[in-house]
Amino acid sequence: MTPETAVVQALNGISFGALLFILAAGLSLIFGMMDVVNLAHGAFYMLGAYITLTVVQRTGQFWLALLLAPPLIGALGLVMEPLLLRRLRGRHLDQVLLTIGVSLVIADLVGLTWGREIRSVPFPAGLDHAISILGGDYPVYRLFVIAFGVVLAVILAIVHRRTRVGALIRAGVQDAPMLAALGVDIDRLFAVTFAIGAALAGLAGVIAAPVFGIYPGMDVDYLIYSLVVVVVGGLGTLSGAVAGSALIGPIDTFGKVLFPQFALALIFAVMALVLLLRPTGLLGRIRIAR
Amino acid sequence: MDAKNGAERRSYRLTRRKFLAASSAAAAIAACGPAATPNPSGAATVEPTASPGPALKIGQLLPFTKVYAELGNSMKRATDLYLKQKGNKLANRPVTVVYEDEANDPVVGAQKTQKFIDSDRVDLMMGIVATPIAYAVRNAIDAAKLVFIETNAGGNALTRTTTNCTPSCKSKYIFRSSFSSYQISYPIGEYFATQKGVKEVFTFVADYGFGNESAADFTSGFTKGGGKITGSLKAPLGSADFLPYVTQLKAQNTKDIYSFFSGTDAINYIKAWTQLGMTAAGYKMNGAGFLTEQDVLKEVKEQANGATTSLFWAVTLDNAENKAFVDLYQKEYSLLPDVFALQAWDGMQAVDLALQAVKGDTTNKDAFIAALENVKFKSPRGDFEFDKETHNPIQDMYIREVKVQSGQAVNTIVGKVARVTDPGK
Repeated sequence: MTPETAVVQALNGISFGALLFILAAGLSLIFGMMDVVNLAHGAFYMLGAYITLTVVQRTGQFWLALLLAPPLIGALGLVMEPLLLRRLRGRHLDQVLLTIGVSLVIADLVGLTWGREIRSVPFPAGLDHAISILGGDYPVYRLFVIAFGVVLAVILAIVHRRTRVGALIRAGVQDAPMLAALGVDIDRLFAVTFAIGAALAGLAGVIAAPVFGIYPGMDVDYLIYSLVVVVVGGLGTLSGAVAGSALIGPIDTFGKVLFPQFALALIFAVMALVLLLRPTGLLGRIRIAR
Repeated sequence: MDAKNGAERRSYRLTRRKFLAASSAAAAIAACGPAATPNPSGAATVEPTASPGPALKIGQLLPFTKVYAELGNSMKRATDLYLKQKGNKLANRPVTVVYEDEANDPVVGAQKTQKFIDSDRVDLMMGIVATPIAYAVRNAIDAAKLVFIETNAGGNALTRTTTNCTPSCKSKYIFRSSFSSYQISYPIGEYFATQKGVKEVFTFVADYGFGNESAADFTSGFTKGGGKITGSLKAPLGSADFLPYVTQLKAQNTKDIYSFFSGTDAINYIKAWTQLGMTAAGYKMNGAGFLTEQDVLKEVKEQANGATTSLFWAVTLDNAENKAFVDLYQKEYSLLPDVFALQAWDGMQAVDLALQAVKGDTTNKDAFIAALENVKFKSPRGDFEFDKETHNPIQDMYIREVKVQSGQAVNTIVGKVARVTDPGK
């Protein structure tokens, strides 16, 4: 591999990692707060991509989709949490089963609404060209994905560390019953957290839509990627999602290039290795069983 | 525990009895969805006519869920349309089609095939999209002496003589109305070397049975014609991100790339190709026809401009049968037929003609098989007949190039390799 190719492949890996971060951040947030592995996360992601498809078809405005889809899917999360998950609070496995059910329902409704053909969204105007890097063309949209991922990580970190909502979330992750005893409306906090997590999945769907095909089954494909990221990085922490995606994106990319026969298995091998050495993930907290 | 189980079993019986009573009443009124007809009595009924022969029951095993659902829908549309224009009768036998969902799963496919054999007792079977499923049910079909028309899966072994029948082998009872992967890959390889004057090709294919077969057949055709393969790259089926692969393609110097991808992979590949400015850098995209079939082309549009592929059909193919087929299909469904619809259509056409030759008698299997072997007709793809040796079609392969005509990207025919047949081993 020439140095130029290596640099381009590194950019490919980082941009894939940035996308994985946007996707995994919500999953990690929900788990950290509610102890629920939300397996409907992939379905929210899929919904984000399909809403983008409709908005782009109707108006031609990708940016409108970026503004519209996350709040819509967030609203869905805001309804879903009190309606379904809250009834099973404390029964973690049942909640996980419930999210599988929700994901199946969403995937089938998407199939009924949008059809089961494969679809694609064009790159937004202004980001559809390539610029020259080291003598080769590189697509601007991929650089935009990297920038978007970084900015989002910074915003989430600021919200997490400096705002009241962030403080509540951190406290809720530490000890939700104590927080409730202190007079915080924990039901509302859980619903809002779930909504933010769902909105982040929808956001990932919007950002990914122009890059990857939109198709039935995309929910499961990317759910697996996001699970690998949060398991490697450490469940339930924002820095864990950053570390996981920064690791998995480039490993996946260079794995495809250097060990093509082993490409699919590589990230799972890395996950197994991390779990053996650090069962809580790279930056995971040691959880006290409740 | 036991008592509880007993109670459950009793209540289950009760509900089933209730269900049967209700469903037999409902069967008269309800037009059940085809995939949801679990018993023969629920199958679609046929209008009575003057003196119809005994009903002909066709089992269609197609994917209606999972990744290939749209292919199954397309093939069902063509089947229904063929029967509709024939007044739901073939050789004066009213036709019942039992649709089952193979769900892109060999285990499910095997179960449903057994259902066709044991409980539906179909007269013949058709369908199956994915090669692994076709391979998985081959022995059951052969043992049951059930005539089966494969209408998509292109795995070479299904119509070949192989050592120990691994992974599959031809059967007297199995015909194929679609293609073998040899047919869509070998001729274009030879054509590139001998007609197009291409010296070197780099291959980049999906890393699974069919993609590997396609690369191997292309390679043998191309090298036989005097060409040289400079290298190869493989991507797992369903790779999310194609940019790393296309970056690698661009890092090597052979300009002609031969690929086998379809569906989402094809879209992602072509988009990554455009993003990296491959065409501007002088690279040429080539491949098996599915790389630029309608499902892909309508999404990537002019991004596929210039791609050269080979297939036995194109929606734009200029002949009377194709015009009639495309018009009829468009009138019925307001959408263009795809190659999968064509394959199902030709399967039905072959069955129809063979049935007429034996006057609708399917009880004499040998006579029916001989009739199928002798079927010859003008298909929308051109002249169609089965190779008597392999039961795979003998057909023309078209070399097609994607061109943008009045703002629309279409496959235009630029060359033809006539009467391609599978070598059979």
